[in-house]
This record gives sequence, C-alpha cells and structure tokens, in this order.
Amino acid sequence: MDWSVFTEFDFDVISKYLPALLNGLANNILLTVFGFLAGGIILAIPLALASLSKYRLIRWPTIVFVEFWRSTPLLVQAIWMHFAFPVMTGLQTSPFQSALIALVLNVSAYCCEIFRAGILGVPKGQFEASFSLGMTKTYTWLKVIFPQALKIVIPPLIGTIISIFKATAILSVLAINDVMRAAQRISSYTFKPVEVYTTAAFLAFFVGLMITLAGQAIEQKYRNKGGRLSGL
Amino acid sequence: MDYNWNIVFRNYELLMQGLAITVQVTLVSVLIGFSIGGIVCAARLSKKKLIKNFAIGYILFFRATPEMILIFWAYFCVPMIFEFKVSGFWTGSVALGLVTAAYLAEIFRAGFNAIPIGQLEAANSLGLKFYVKWRFIIIPQLMKIMIPPLFNYFTELLKNTSLLSGIGVAELALQAYLLGGQTFRYVEFLSAIAILYFLMIFPLSFISRKLELKGVN
Repeated sequence: MDWSVFTEFDFDVISKYLPALLNGLANNILLTVFGFLAGGIILAIPLALASLSKYRLIRWPTIVFVEFWRSTPLLVQAIWMHFAFPVMTGLQTSPFQSALIALVLNVSAYCCEIFRAGILGVPKGQFEASFSLGMTKTYTWLKVIFPQALKIVIPPLIGTIISIFKATAILSVLAINDVMRAAQRISSYTFKPVEVYTTAAFLAFFVGLMITLAGQAIEQKYRNKGGRLSGL
Repeated sequence: MDYNWNIVFRNYELLMQGLAITVQVTLVSVLIGFSIGGIVCAARLSKKKLIKNFAIGYILFFRATPEMILIFWAYFCVPMIFEFKVSGFWTGSVALGLVTAAYLAEIFRAGFNAIPIGQLEAANSLGLKFYVKWRFIIIPQLMKIMIPPLFNYFTELLKNTSLLSGIGVAELALQAYLLGGQTFRYVEFLSAIAILYFLMIFPLSFISRKLELKGVN
C-alpha cells in the first residue's frame, strides 16, 4: 500500500480550489431545496389528488406517469431530458434546465406516492363524518383531511430530502456546475485526484450528515408531541 | 421528426451486453451488501459501545454521502492508494455494495427489532433446538417484515447501477448514450432503455408493495 499518498497530501491544492468545490456544493444545495419545494410539495400534491381521482381519465395517466418516473434511473431521465426531449419538441434547454426538469419530475413522482399514502391513511369515516356534519368539500379537505394526512406524510417527506441531495450529484453527468463536476474538472487540471475527490466526498458527506441529523431531530420532536401536528 | 426504431433492434446485441453488465453489477452489489450488511447489523446490535458506534458511523456515512461521489472516489483514489489496477466494474460494484450494506443493515435491524423478545424466550423455554428455533420461529417472522423493504431497496440499487456509466462501465445507460451519440438517434435509444429499466424495476416494486399490503392485513 502506498500511504505516501496521504503523507504527501497536497493541502495547497485544497486551499486553492476549495472555493470552487464549495461553489459546486452550493449548487447541489440549491437544487435540493428547489427540487424539494417545486417537485416534492407544489407538484406532488396535485399529482396525489389526481391519482386518487374517481375519473379514470385523470387517474390512470397520473398513475402511469408516476410509476414510470419512479421506475427509471434519474441518470437516464436526465440524459433523456437533455438529448431526446429537445429533438422531440424542438425546445432547446440548457444543461441546468434539463437537469432541473428531470429532478423536479422525479421528486414529484416519489412525493406523490407519499402524499397518496398519507391521504389514503386517513380513515374514510372522517370524510363521511364531515359531510354528515354539513361541511363543504373544500372545508373538509382543508380542515379535516389535510391536517391528518400531513401527520402521516411528514416523516417520509423529510426522508426524501436526503435522497434528493444524493440525487443532485447524479446530475453532474449533464455538466452542470455541481460539486462532482467541479471535482472532476479540478482533478483533471491538477492531477491530484486523491486530494480533490477526498475533499469533495467529505464536503458532501458533511452536508448529507447535517440533513440526516436535522431530519432525525424534526422526526423526534414531532414524535415526542404525541404525533400532534400543532407541536411542530 | 421521423423516428427510426429499427436502429434499436439492429443494435440489440450491444444493448443486451449492457443489460447483462447492469444485472452483474446488481448481483455483485447484493452479495457484498448481504455479507457486509449482516456483519454491520450484528455490530449495530452489539452491546459493546465501540463496535456499536462503529456500525452507526458506517451506516450514517454510507447513507448520507452521494453514491456518485463514492463511486468516483473509489475509481480514482483506490488505485493510487493501494497501488493496484482494478477495473471500473469492480470498483463501482464494490462501492455500490458497501452502500447496499448500510441500507440492508438497517433493514435487518428493523426486522430483528420487530420480533417480540417473548417469541425467543418462549422458544427457549420449550427447549427447541437451534435449527428449529431459527427455521420455524424467527426466520418466518423476519421474512414477513424484511422482504418488502428488501425488494424496495433492490429497485433503488438497480437504478443506481446506471451511475457506473460515469466511470466508463459499459452498462445499459452508457451503451445507449454511446449508441445515441454515434447515430444521433438519442430519442430511440434513450427511450428504449428507459422502457427496459421500467420493465426490470416496476415488477420488483409492484411485488414489494403487494407483499407490504399482505403483511399489514
């Protein structure tokens, strides 16, 4: 074994290129936040409602869409978005746009399933009880069903954030300036792959660790309140 | 836009080679995952603090770090540190196997924790032999709890094998990408492999969900 790789660890390279790596990591975090908000919340809730619709014409296309995006790798989706989608539609997208579209749709499919399970987890009697009390449909959904569904949904939803963060590193295949692409560029420029990739791995691990611990803390806090949402 | 789907069938063999490598990577990772995952799970359940903390650290590290970075690290750094040449196939499969081990360890642990301790005590007090105890009491209960998440994780693993295209392993995704680049028929090749992945992954996740529902009832 050649431990000299570690004894001769070149810290100059790291200090010189750390800003570039951090810049890449910031893009990963940005993509994670945007992917979660746009895909995991804004797009996933309507999808979940559509997948539970009583009209087959709405329900089946939604289910097919969700299953297809859940059952193919993000890498293939990203490449498809960047190379095949423009050919089919004539729309030109930048690598960042294609990566973002693929990520948002992928996340929306995952989170749709979570919301679907949450809504299905609310007992049917709750609907019947609210209707028999003369509540309107909107009022029932907003005040009775969603609060209860949210209680079921929050722990797995937080769990997806770490998956999204890990998925953003995959998007580097489209040459968007994330931490992976930054590391690749720097290491081929400096010929110091050990230093650069080790630093990149530790930076990414650190962010992943923070997300995991924050998620666990939120879950714990939420559980201590007896699962009541008001405690959040 | 006219599409030429014949080109996919003409390059059928290359795609099938890619598919074979995808399946091989999955199998190697599952084998490594099961063996190391079992050890990590045993360490995680150990009463010795040092061993337990090591297992917790292992699980945390491999579940929090993006697989893409681990694979690239393994591919570029392991040959330099250990001074031997190793193919992308093996570095990638081992890296994915180590990640799999972390996830499987947690699945195993959840399974063991879900079996009431009274079951073991009852089996012991009835004087059941080791084989009988494991074969008829513990394993059947474990299976019921563990199989749905196991299948679910296998789908994730199958999807993650596509990451090996980043280090030049000619699996399904890279084959299609290269063929697309040579022929400028990205739509046909990429759509074809998307369908192939779907045909592999969807049945697994479907079984997983069916079994989960069966377990609940």
